[in-house]
Amino acid sequence: MRPSDPSALAEDDPVPSPTSEPARHGRMVELAGLPIRQRGGHRREIIAVAVLAVLALAVWSVVSNEALQWDIVGRYMLDIRILNGVWVTIGLTAASMAVGLVLAVIVALMRLSGNWALRQAALLFVWFFRSTPVLVLLIITFNLSLFYPTLTIGIPGGPTLISGETHTLISPFMAAVLAFALNEAAYSAEILRSSITAVSTGQWEAGTALGMTRARIYRRVVLPQALRIAIPPLGNDTINMLKGTSLVAFIAVFDLMYTAQSIYQLTYEVVPLLVVVTLWYIVLVTVLSAVQSLLERRLRGRSRKLGNAARVVAGGKPA
Amino acid sequence: MNDVVLEAVNLSKRYGDDLVLDGVTLQVQRGQTVCVMGPSGAGKTSFLRCLNHLEKPTSGAVFIDGELLGYEHRGDHLVELPKREIARQRREVGMVFQSFNLFTHMSVLQNVMEAPVGVLGLDRKQARSRAEELLETVGMAHKAHAMPEQLSGGQQQRVAIARALAMRPKVMLFDEPTSALDPELVSEVLETMRRLSDLGMTMIVVTHEIGFAREVAARAVFMDAGRIVEDGTVEDVFRGAANARVRDFLGKVL
Repeated sequence: MRPSDPSALAEDDPVPSPTSEPARHGRMVELAGLPIRQRGGHRREIIAVAVLAVLALAVWSVVSNEALQWDIVGRYMLDIRILNGVWVTIGLTAASMAVGLVLAVIVALMRLSGNWALRQAALLFVWFFRSTPVLVLLIITFNLSLFYPTLTIGIPGGPTLISGETHTLISPFMAAVLAFALNEAAYSAEILRSSITAVSTGQWEAGTALGMTRARIYRRVVLPQALRIAIPPLGNDTINMLKGTSLVAFIAVFDLMYTAQSIYQLTYEVVPLLVVVTLWYIVLVTVLSAVQSLLERRLRGRSRKLGNAARVVAGGKPA
Repeated sequence: MNDVVLEAVNLSKRYGDDLVLDGVTLQVQRGQTVCVMGPSGAGKTSFLRCLNHLEKPTSGAVFIDGELLGYEHRGDHLVELPKREIARQRREVGMVFQSFNLFTHMSVLQNVMEAPVGVLGLDRKQARSRAEELLETVGMAHKAHAMPEQLSGGQQQRVAIARALAMRPKVMLFDEPTSALDPELVSEVLETMRRLSDLGMTMIVVTHEIGFAREVAARAVFMDAGRIVEDGTVEDVFRGAANARVRDFLGKVL
C-alpha cells in the first residue's frame, strides 16, 4: 500500500489515532447520507427582486415622462421620411461592410504573404486607416475633389475608360461607403489575419501533401475554418458600423439620424424624434445580433446538419 | 528485379547550426514496406518530410519514379520548380500524419473526395464511388457522413489513410501514424496498414511499433544523428543489433 493511502496511515501510524477506526468510518457514512442544500439561503431571490424593482422604476420613469411625447413618437416611427432614412442606414452599412470585407481579405492575405513588399504594404494600409478617425476620413472622401479635381480610370498609356470631375463622379453616399469601407477593412483585416493563423498548420500540411495549391488550400480548407472563428468579432464590427454611419450627418446624407435631425430642426420636436431614432437603432441592432447568433449556430452545428444533408441526398435516413 | 520507385540521394538538412540530416541515401523498391526507426531527434520525420518536399533539403535530391522532386536542372545548378509543378509532383506521394489532420469542417466522405475532385479533376460521381470504395477498404464506410470530431483517433487515422490513397499515390509516407493514439486504438490502424502493404503499396513508415515492423516490413533502416546507421531486413537490424546505438534503442523500446 502507498503511504498516501489514508487507511495505510491509520495502520502504520505509531501514535494511536484519537478515534477508533469503526467510529471514524461510521461518521463518514453519516455525512455521505446527508442531503445537499444551496449555500446562502434566499439571498439570490432577494437580489433578483431588488434588481427587478429598480428596473421597473427606470422603465416607468422613461415611459411616464411627458417630455418624451409618445404620441408624436408613434406618429414618426413609420413616417415615410424616417423609413427612407432607415433604408439609407441599412444600405450604407451593407455596402460599406461588403466592400470593406473584400478589401480586408486582400489585405489579410497580403499580410500573411511570403513577399516582404506585400506584407509591408498591408501593414501600411492597416496602420494608416486605423490611425485616422472615421469622421476625418469621411470628410476627406467627401471633399476628394479638393485633393484630386478630376478622376480618370483607364489603362496607363492606353485608352481612358472613365474620366470626369471628381465631385460629379462621387456622390456623398459613395464617399461615405468609401470612408467606412476603408476604415472597416483595416480592422477586419486584423480579425481575418488572426483567424487564419488560428487554423492549425496541420490543415496546411494535409492540403499540401495532397497536391493542393496554396490558393486552393486557402479557398477550400483554411478560409472556411477561419471564417467560423471570425464571425463573432465581425458581427461586433457590423453593429458598430451600423451605429457609426450616423456620422454621415456631417456630409448631409439623409440616413436615419440626419433625417430626424432635419425634421426636428423645423418642428422643434427634438426629444420624440431622438426617441424614434433610438428605437430604430435598437430594432436594427437586435436584428443584426439575431442574424449573428444564427450564423454562429449554423457554422458550429454544420457538422451534424451537413452530415445529415449528405445522408438524405444519398437516400438514407438522417440520424 | 530492380524496380526503384523512390530514391533519396545524399539528403542533408541544416537548421542553423543543427545538422538534422547528414547525407541520407535510400532506395525503395516498388511494393516494398520500409520501416524507419531510431531515437527521437534522429531526423526520421525530417527525412520523411523531404520525400514529398514538405521540407526542402539543404542539399541532395529525391527522385520519384526517376523524376527529380521539387527542382529542375538548369546547366550547372538546380532551380526550385514553380509551386504548381511541385503540387503536381506531390500527388504521387501520399502522406499520413501523426495528428491525422483531417479537414475539420468536412465530413469523412468530403475529406476523401476533396483532392480527387479539386486536384485531379474527377467528376463528383466518380470521386464519390471511389471514396466509398476506399472507406470500405479501411473499414470506415459506415462513418462516411460523420464529421472528424465525432470519430476516435484510430478512426480518424484510417480516414486519413483513405484520403491519401484517393490520389492513387505511388508511395505512401507514414509519420508515426500511431503515436498520438490511445493504446487500444493502435491495432486497428496497424491492421489497415498491414492490409495496404499486402495489397502491394510502397510504404515508408516512421514508427516505434516493433511488432508491426517485424510482421509487415520487409526492410528496416535505423537512423541516428541524421544518418542511416543500419539498413537491412528487419531481422538483420533487430537480431544482429551489431550497432551499439541500435542495441541501446531496442533495450528502451522493447
